[in-house]
Amino acid sequence: MKPLLGTLYLLGILVPEGLGYDGSLAQPRREVVEETVNPWKSLDTYSYTKYHPMEEIYQWMIQISEKYTGVVTQHFLGMTYEIRPMYYLKISQPSNNPKKIIWMDCGIHAREWIAPAFCQWFVKEILQNYKDNPRIGRFLRNLDFYVLPVLNIDGYIYTWTTDRLWRKSRSSHNNGTCFGTDLNRNFNVAWCSIGASKDCHDLTFCGTGPASEPETKAVSSFVESKKESIVCFLTMHSYGQLILTPYGYTKNKSSNHEELIQVGQKAANALKKKHGTNFRVGSSADILYTTSGASRDWARDIGIPFSYTFELRDNGTYGFVLPAAQIQATCEETMEAVLSVLDDVYEKYWDSDGAGKVTPTAVVLGLLVSFMSVL
Amino acid sequence: MPPRGQPPPASGPGGPRPAVLLLAPLLLLALQGVAAAPAGAGGTEDSPGLQDAELQRGLLQQAARAALHFFNFRAGSPSALRVLAAVLEGRATVNPKKECQVDLVFTTDHYNREDGEERLGKCSARVFFRNQKPRPAVNVTCTRLIEKNKRQQEDYLLYTHMKQLKTPLDVVSIPDSHGHIDPSLRPIWDLAFLGSSYVMWEKTTQFLHYYMAQISSVNQWKTNDDAVDFDYTVLLHEFSTQEIIPCRIHLVWYPGKPLKVKYHCQELQTPEEASGTEEGSAVAPTELNNF
Repeated sequence: MKPLLGTLYLLGILVPEGLGYDGSLAQPRREVVEETVNPWKSLDTYSYTKYHPMEEIYQWMIQISEKYTGVVTQHFLGMTYEIRPMYYLKISQPSNNPKKIIWMDCGIHAREWIAPAFCQWFVKEILQNYKDNPRIGRFLRNLDFYVLPVLNIDGYIYTWTTDRLWRKSRSSHNNGTCFGTDLNRNFNVAWCSIGASKDCHDLTFCGTGPASEPETKAVSSFVESKKESIVCFLTMHSYGQLILTPYGYTKNKSSNHEELIQVGQKAANALKKKHGTNFRVGSSADILYTTSGASRDWARDIGIPFSYTFELRDNGTYGFVLPAAQIQATCEETMEAVLSVLDDVYEKYWDSDGAGKVTPTAVVLGLLVSFMSVL
Repeated sequence: MPPRGQPPPASGPGGPRPAVLLLAPLLLLALQGVAAAPAGAGGTEDSPGLQDAELQRGLLQQAARAALHFFNFRAGSPSALRVLAAVLEGRATVNPKKECQVDLVFTTDHYNREDGEERLGKCSARVFFRNQKPRPAVNVTCTRLIEKNKRQQEDYLLYTHMKQLKTPLDVVSIPDSHGHIDPSLRPIWDLAFLGSSYVMWEKTTQFLHYYMAQISSVNQWKTNDDAVDFDYTVLLHEFSTQEIIPCRIHLVWYPGKPLKVKYHCQELQTPEEASGTEEGSAVAPTELNNF
């Protein structure tokens, strides 16, 4: 499997960027790539306070799974439009008990560089601390972490080579006159009904149909296949300093809205304690804007109870082009927020000794079973 | 997930009956829980009152942004730029023509806030949005954040730095992709933000609001006749559409004098291109000691 993936990866970086005419009306914003890619760094010298190009992130994933074999495995999720492999990292301590899953994805929008930076930071923090830190250690007793550091790989690469403010994927439309689908408008939930555009020129273009894009298909078919086990779906974005609950496609609230707000607010408080940064909590339709086809809403509607969008720093001062000097502080505070959510999720389903908690449904089923056995 | 314990099965001939009575309400509870779990478009509709509150909050935010852009432009001071801290209070009223008047009070922060500096200015404003037409009418007054003398001093310092920059400027974009702005180029960013404030004020409506994302090119930078003559292209980020709008801006600035701005934006959505000219406001920025 590995040699095949390696070949596919090589194919991926050989595919030329910007196939065909770039339909954007603005001047193409070409930038000199200042960083030179150094493929043979060791993990010890990997900087989590710098932004990394995709080649380095691919390399990092391999190195992480090699250094932490037994706990980390790298898995293939699917191929992007430009035929690049999508990988996620599974962090899992081997055990006999069935695990629940925490899903985290970053970089569904290409220009939101701080998000993939956070995914890498998160993985590093978990792996460097699960042995000595009981708070993190206990998570791994009953939870597996599935982390997708860059969802929109083609777009991310495009922001490094051509246009730093590109948002969408790099799929070709309208006979090559239009590029990119907004992957966070492409999921199969109230698809393209509101807050999205059917015009391929627009930045909120919803695609040619629900889950029309290979990246969307890759994520949704995988998440769907594991939905019984996934308790938490976190999707990381920037900017705006928000913790968003479902929904964007309606002002109606999910059945567990109160709980989501409570958990979200607690996370925002924990975040603020770190560096004083203010985050607002609310449903997307209430505090941000209406959207349809968003991954967070889709995840909630297939039954994943804790589904959040995080919009990281800042508030517009630098926006998408957040200075690398702020990566550390941003990641530290965001880590506090995510850990807070994980605490709440963990305590909802397990006791501190790791034993499963009785849920109302479990009680009823238990009684039913015992009742049936009497008949 | 297996339940922790299972109650012992009812035994004896009379067993099942009491168990059924126990089970029924529990079953009902479970069914309710199951039905509610995959909440699709389910859930209760927001009360009209709640929706109004959110609408109000949104309009107050928009008004604060428009007022602040206008304030920054009118103050004409790249060293005294402000950002929105929080909206304290306000009221928005919409007339039958869908025009919107907003009266509000908000706090501001220094744009170039140094560490530890926690000075908050306070502003009161009246903003009139003309139903998605540009150029909201703004009346705004703010408490002083920086001493007038200090501000003039800082402006003049910035101006001196600008005069010393070697032309032509060897820059591709500010900041670079990694968000870095060379300290020597910082005055350019501040001045660009000042010019962009004019553009962003004009373009802010009830629904649209902007941020300056990046200076994509510096076309001309002259300081011949004392004033700074700055021609640049800025990328504005419009939040609700997520679009990036390139705007060519030409400004002329001298410390203490009103800012002169000309601009032309490349609109992707509407056929008409937005452009405007302002010879700076003749009205000196009004500041109050106590508010």
